[in-house]
Amino acid sequence: MSVNDTPPAAEPRRSRRGSSRRGRLTGRRSKSMRRITGTLALLLGLTAMGFAFAAFTASANEANVATAASVDAAQIERGASIYQTSCITCHGANLQGVLDRGPSLVGVGQAAVYFQVATGRMPAAENQAQMPRKEPFFTPEEIDDLGAFIQANGGGPEIPASGLRDDAQIAMGGELFRLNCASCHNFTGQGGALSQGKYAPNLDPATDEEIWGAMLSGPENMPKFGDGQLTPEEKAAIVSFIQNNKATIDPGGLPLGGFGPAPEGLIAFLVGMGAIVAATLWMGSRA
Amino acid sequence: MSTDQHAVPGEAELARMSPEEKAAAGMAADHVELEEYGPVAVPGSPADKRNERSVAMWFLLAGLLGLLFAVAFIWWPHEYVPAYEEGQLAYALYTPIIGATMGGAILCFGIGVVQMARKIFAHEVAIQQRHIGMSTEFDRQSLAAQVMDTVDKAGLKRRGMIKGSLALAGGALGLVAAIPILGALIKNPWAERADSPLWVTPWAPLADGTKIRLTQIDGTPVRPEDLAAGSMATVFPGVPGGSKASDAAVMLFRVRSDTVIRIRDGQQGFQFGDYYAYSKICTHVGCPVSLYEQQTGRVLCPCHQSQFNLYEGMFPVFGPATRPLPQLPIELDDEGYFVAARDFIEAVGPGFWENGKFPAWYSEPKEATG
Repeated sequence: MSVNDTPPAAEPRRSRRGSSRRGRLTGRRSKSMRRITGTLALLLGLTAMGFAFAAFTASANEANVATAASVDAAQIERGASIYQTSCITCHGANLQGVLDRGPSLVGVGQAAVYFQVATGRMPAAENQAQMPRKEPFFTPEEIDDLGAFIQANGGGPEIPASGLRDDAQIAMGGELFRLNCASCHNFTGQGGALSQGKYAPNLDPATDEEIWGAMLSGPENMPKFGDGQLTPEEKAAIVSFIQNNKATIDPGGLPLGGFGPAPEGLIAFLVGMGAIVAATLWMGSRA
Repeated sequence: MSTDQHAVPGEAELARMSPEEKAAAGMAADHVELEEYGPVAVPGSPADKRNERSVAMWFLLAGLLGLLFAVAFIWWPHEYVPAYEEGQLAYALYTPIIGATMGGAILCFGIGVVQMARKIFAHEVAIQQRHIGMSTEFDRQSLAAQVMDTVDKAGLKRRGMIKGSLALAGGALGLVAAIPILGALIKNPWAERADSPLWVTPWAPLADGTKIRLTQIDGTPVRPEDLAAGSMATVFPGVPGGSKASDAAVMLFRVRSDTVIRIRDGQQGFQFGDYYAYSKICTHVGCPVSLYEQQTGRVLCPCHQSQFNLYEGMFPVFGPATRPLPQLPIELDDEGYFVAARDFIEAVGPGFWENGKFPAWYSEPKEATG
């Protein structure tokens, strides 16, 4: 576009030079001539200004579109190529899903892609009751590319870039966790069994983004918790509660899953009783 | 117990005896003979002092730990500190410190007592003859005869009035013991007729006809757009104390629009579009069911593994529950919020004898089946 800039920019300069030359010749020209040339000069100047304005606005517009499109398009392009090599078999050429293999990905959004791929659940190794967490197959950049591609095709929920935590609200987060999450994931996030080989996973390895993505997208059998049901503030409080739980110091060294007095009492009973019986036997053998 | 060869000293003799002699006489009466007896170390010797110091050390330690326990109990920071703030370690150590000082004090005291018995008290080896535990044949037979003779002489066999009234008194006493336990279990579920608590939940419209809103736990009313497809929200009646009422918790589901759900007979129109509301209280023993598998439509109860199938009208498909979860009829109010169109048409929660029967006062059956 800079090529287009030059001619209109040059024109006013030329016209200015013309008018100054006209100034020197003023005395020899008639009043009507001066009026005609003046009008012409004005017309020329205005036209040039119009061209210049049009050229500038056009170039500005196209530059904006071009940058936005180049970043997104390239990312979506990269995401599409990843999709075509790693996902297409089960999710279909048009993200429509394949019967008995994989669900449709239209409208699942970046949140679902991030959760499934960043936790290594996707790409799946084999079809089973539930996809287990494993080492992620793609790099974070590739996951973002894939997310952009899926997001561009049908939209859907997205994990916000910031504000995933609200460390001041862990009490509220705990209440919401116990109401909405604890029935499956256990009170301390240890996870638990569902029907027919399925399970709610342990939350220990989960990052803020993964927890947020799971709440937004409802992976596998987990229900969705959209922003209308749990506001972003409530989600942030829940994330903070979970992470606070995991970061809490265990001075005893053996948390026993954080389940509380029942397993602790059981261990105390078995180990303590065992120690007492052993001590009694030892004393008996020495008597 | 009484002795044969060792005579028990008389009163005058007891008054004359020294404590040592009394102890010896007592042992002799119990057939205890001392083989060895004497101090562990020569009194005043270095060994004796060493023993004394080691026992005193344990008692000192016990006292010190006990004092530390008291100090820690009062001044150690015991209020919860989140992991994000400084000082969680100190808080986390509160319980171990309390336990270690208290346990340590008791342990040291115990060791001190044992050490004192071994090192300070006199060393002794005593032999006691083993006694035969049973009373003599004569003692046993004569005691039994005495009891029987007393009963016979009182003539209880012929005194029917005594026997009868005694039986009555005994039975009544048993009743006194049993009635506080059993009495609490016997209630008339229809005592308040149509308003009896087993039939009525806080979802019933108010007396002026106001329908109750479905609210989240913080009281926020729920609109259809709040729930994404494939979601489940626990909602409570929007009345004071609604979120604490034991029979009012409800699961509000939004299923995908292509999901086919079996509607139970007589419950057509209870849903609103793709939104379905069911009681969260298990029909087995009343645990909150909320393990919702949004792909299979199953709702699991964590207590006894009952499973209900949302797609089948919440009929139980596994586990001990026998009745489906009751469905709450829902609709929208003028402002677009969910309200309960009316109360549940059946009793929520675990079954009871009268459940599913036709109460005489009620115009329609409260049938529990679909």
